[in-house]
Amino acid sequence: MSNEPNIINIFFYILTKGLFFTLFLTALGLLIGFALGLLLALMRVYGVKEIGWLASGYEKLFRGIPVLVLIFIFSFGIPRLFWYLEPLERPIAGVILALGLRSGAYQSQIFRGAILSVHSGQMEAARALGMNGFQSFRHIVFPQALRLAVPSWSNEYAVVIKDSSFAYGVGIVEMTKAAFDIAANFPLLMPVSMGVVAILYLLFTYPVTKLVGERQSKKLKDFGMGGG
Amino acid sequence: MDKNKTVLKVVDVWKSYDELEVLKGVSLELAEQEVKVIFGPSGSGKSTLLRCINMLNAPDKGEIYLSGQNLTTSGINLNAMRAKIGMVFQHFNLFSHLKAIDNVSVALRRVKGLTKEEAREEALNALNQVKMVEWAEHYPAQLSGGQQQRVGIARALAMKPDLILFDEPTSALDPELIGEVLQVMLEIAKAGTTMVVVTHEMGFARAVASEMIFLDQGIVIERGTPEHFFDSPESERVKHFLRQINILYGYHEELIKEYNEDEKR
Amino acid sequence: MIFQQLPKELVDFLRVLGYWDNILIGLAKTMWLYVWALLIGFFLGLLLALLRQYGGRILSRIATGYIEIVRGTPLLVQLFFIYFLPFSINTFLQAQGLPYIPIGRWSLYVTSNLFGRTVTMVFLDHITLIGILTLGLNSAAYQAEYFRGAVISIGGGQLEAAQSLGMSRRSGVLHIVLPQALRRVIPAWSNEAAYLPKYTVLVIYIGLSELFAQAHYIISETFLTLSVYILVALIFLVIITIISKALDILYKRTAIPGL
Repeated sequence: MSNEPNIINIFFYILTKGLFFTLFLTALGLLIGFALGLLLALMRVYGVKEIGWLASGYEKLFRGIPVLVLIFIFSFGIPRLFWYLEPLERPIAGVILALGLRSGAYQSQIFRGAILSVHSGQMEAARALGMNGFQSFRHIVFPQALRLAVPSWSNEYAVVIKDSSFAYGVGIVEMTKAAFDIAANFPLLMPVSMGVVAILYLLFTYPVTKLVGERQSKKLKDFGMGGG
Repeated sequence: MDKNKTVLKVVDVWKSYDELEVLKGVSLELAEQEVKVIFGPSGSGKSTLLRCINMLNAPDKGEIYLSGQNLTTSGINLNAMRAKIGMVFQHFNLFSHLKAIDNVSVALRRVKGLTKEEAREEALNALNQVKMVEWAEHYPAQLSGGQQQRVGIARALAMKPDLILFDEPTSALDPELIGEVLQVMLEIAKAGTTMVVVTHEMGFARAVASEMIFLDQGIVIERGTPEHFFDSPESERVKHFLRQINILYGYHEELIKEYNEDEKR
Repeated sequence: MIFQQLPKELVDFLRVLGYWDNILIGLAKTMWLYVWALLIGFFLGLLLALLRQYGGRILSRIATGYIEIVRGTPLLVQLFFIYFLPFSINTFLQAQGLPYIPIGRWSLYVTSNLFGRTVTMVFLDHITLIGILTLGLNSAAYQAEYFRGAVISIGGGQLEAAQSLGMSRRSGVLHIVLPQALRRVIPAWSNEAAYLPKYTVLVIYIGLSELFAQAHYIISETFLTLSVYILVALIFLVIITIISKALDILYKRTAIPGL
């Protein structure tokens, strides 16, 4: 009895079963990475030497370990971690933590670069007006840094959403696992299924990176540099 | 010495970029050992014209004749033709991974097929002409702007081309370095090099140009000898431009005179 | 008597070390995959970058399309796609009566005796080939972008100058732009080169026994889950650091003033 799925079936299956976790894991991973990255960047830019080393060490550590290994460590390696969750739920937290910690290391670089790119004259002007360090940062440097960080950030988003596919290995049904499941009984359909999920991922990554890339080239042209 | 042989003939060249018409029917002729200066406001198409001449950008309409050969026909070996036209760039465009001597000799080896020794000898000759022999083993980044441009001139000279195109060769230089480059250009002009020079350096034009061509918005507004331009230019646009140039170079006696006259009124 | 007084951590550590042959083979496999993937990625990536920058309209669009698709989809999806593709193609080919791709159990391997343990290193078999191919094709897309960035930063003026001297476009790209671009790309490229080993772990999903897979084997025998994972993590860290430093030195050694 062949209930061989066709492309439409495949498409909707992946969408309905997998999209939620793909987006959920990505969003939370990016959020944790954002908070962590900002903290680490501040530590490196404004902290004392030793604090800076700490942050730098963290970055090196979490850039040098494969995400998949991190996922396994947090999902299965530390039984007491996430003790309050059901065993089946722990991998979800494990993946989010792994994605978040890794993303934090990369976002730290992004923010650090952006903060340093904001002209030091801005900070000087703010202090001259009487603002203290925190105010100057919050109202003057930070908004500009955020704007500068957008292109790199869109790249990081693409990386995290792709990395969310690693959750396949720990039993979470996100898009890649869904694509695998539906063709599991029909291995000949696997390339088709993978093709469909690839298109889905592209739908989420390509518009963002293309848009941001074009915006940036346009901005550079307006400033009279680059492009063309 | 056949002074009347026509080296370059540009016939009614038109060029557009997308919607923008940059050149609208420009013509000029150049005989052996002549030096012609093209000048005009920015955006007038001067650079584009030079790049049409050596077919880096083919014109949309019109022909380019190099020593009688039509460059705009199809099937022509443009690389071989370009080897006969030298070019000196505003931003030097020296090959930064090669020393000065190699910059000058690389095309001699790869395009003209000279042996390593032959190429080196020719390159040293060219560097000698521009007084850069002591810097032969230096990399471009180790040279000042004026030195780099002189190497650029040597690189063009070494190919022994029929003519050399100069695209605002001193515009990117600090003022104190302009002199050394103009000096070299004057010397090679006097030695009989056929040159087309896009520049604002009126002193140079006065000294060696057989004809000056004023280009504005893609059209030749006026052409004539240097004396014609400096004594009695016809068009208002030319007069205005020349005044702007004089202000740029500090020849502002005219301005002071006018100012004083205004004050008196 | 002494052994009973050793701390538990040390005993555990020694037990894991007892599997040194597994770790060694796993590491060798990881590095083998890495080197080939990097090489394929280098040459294909360079070709793609040059096509994208200097190819005609059609070629440059194809190159761009390839790069965007590979960079926009997860490596795991690409792996499964490439792994299962031959089966589907074969079914189609067989139905038409055409010759098909051999997916046999073939293997190029070496077995030897190392300090009393038998170790077998498989250099090439079906899944290794698929693994290397996928990683290489993936890496190529990322390396292409680094090369393209370097070529663009060298600037069009260099090519103009080369052509103005009579060099063909091809000659100008190969002899003037490329040497400069390859030197300038080293810092960004070393990024990809240093971190590529991390991505080789994905191949465990098609049954390849590289370092991470060996780790699971050791865990299945010793149940020392965390320690083994941490050991693997540290090994990767060390490899990546070594590669980064080596490339750093290479960059300094090939520095030309102004490039």
